[in-house]
Amino acid sequence: MTDSSDLELVELFQNGNETAFNELVGRYQEKIYWIARRFVNDHDQADDIVQEVFIKVYSALKNFRGDSGVYTWLYRITVNVALNALRKQRIRDFIRIDEFFETAEDENEQPDAIFEKDEQQKLIEEAIAKLPEKQKAIFILRYHEELSYEEISLILKTSIGGLKANYFHAVKKIGEYVNRAHRTH
Amino acid sequence: MRTEHIKYDLMDYITNRLNAQERKRVEEHLQKCPKCNNQYAELSATDKVLKQNHSTAPTPVYYSTILPRVRERLIFHKRSIWDYSYGPVKFIIPIAVSILLMFFLIRIPTESSFEAAQTEALHQAVKDLDEEEIVQAVEKEYAGLSLSPNQEVAAAGVAEHLQGDRFLKSAISKQIDNEEVADMDVEGMISDLDKEQVDQVLSGLSERNTL
Repeated sequence: MTDSSDLELVELFQNGNETAFNELVGRYQEKIYWIARRFVNDHDQADDIVQEVFIKVYSALKNFRGDSGVYTWLYRITVNVALNALRKQRIRDFIRIDEFFETAEDENEQPDAIFEKDEQQKLIEEAIAKLPEKQKAIFILRYHEELSYEEISLILKTSIGGLKANYFHAVKKIGEYVNRAHRTH
Repeated sequence: MRTEHIKYDLMDYITNRLNAQERKRVEEHLQKCPKCNNQYAELSATDKVLKQNHSTAPTPVYYSTILPRVRERLIFHKRSIWDYSYGPVKFIIPIAVSILLMFFLIRIPTESSFEAAQTEALHQAVKDLDEEEIVQAVEKEYAGLSLSPNQEVAAAGVAEHLQGDRFLKSAISKQIDNEEVADMDVEGMISDLDKEQVDQVLSGLSERNTL
């Protein structure tokens, strides 16, 4: 089964082979984790996104018709789930209950979830977090995931010209944010 | 070549994602365009900063936990899929059960207390009032005449407290008209009463030879 293509795995699953889903999870879990992680900058939140993505995938696989590539489809689900998570996060921030949870989480943080962040890294994460949703998605998929504009275009349903312009502005904004922060410190 | 056209390619040039032809095009433009050179310098600096950004990866053990947890959640999801598939049913069933429960909770004590009051009123109506009074009360009620307090009790007792009022009124009015109360007619009229009420009405009335 490990030699099967993504599409073959989907067909196997659609014919009742549950192991094919396990193979898909194993094949894409790390990729999906890192896309999620770059969106939310937090291990636990990224983990939640990964779980939700695969649960959605499981439910939707039966109806997958192969109009787009399997990974394009998976990435699209991941981006949507991650953007939803960010929107929920913004609502939590707005009603300011996150302060309570941050304190509680810090006290109980497990070694696996501890990620040292130096000042520069924090600045970059803040800069990326401040990007508009679309620019953030484009930046992550192009800069980190190194997808082609054609693939990103399929995932985000945006023209290639628009993607290039947004990518340029995303990187420019990150640079400006970091420089401004350095000047003020 | 317009500046806009290559500034959007600069990041791909910096990260080495252009083919040879595209690289050449960008390099030629950079040689003659100071504005794009500034953009190039700015983006290159940002790229260097970004390259220093290395988020700590989770341990490999973490990835081995993903599938079992997804499977566990899927089992839970499957258990509750009925709820998702039949959304309206999910709401209708508890509402219907609640309504039925409320109906019985409200109805049973009310009915039992109503029954007790009814039985009591029936006893009073049958025992305390004589036939004459009942007949007069009903006659006056039909005629729209004012009733004496006693007659009001009789009429109220018959008409309001007793479910058997139709039976009594009908029986009495037929008696007034000297009609014979047919068995079938009585059966039809007493169908609204429960057995205990019927027994009480019949025994009370038969004791006083009203029928």
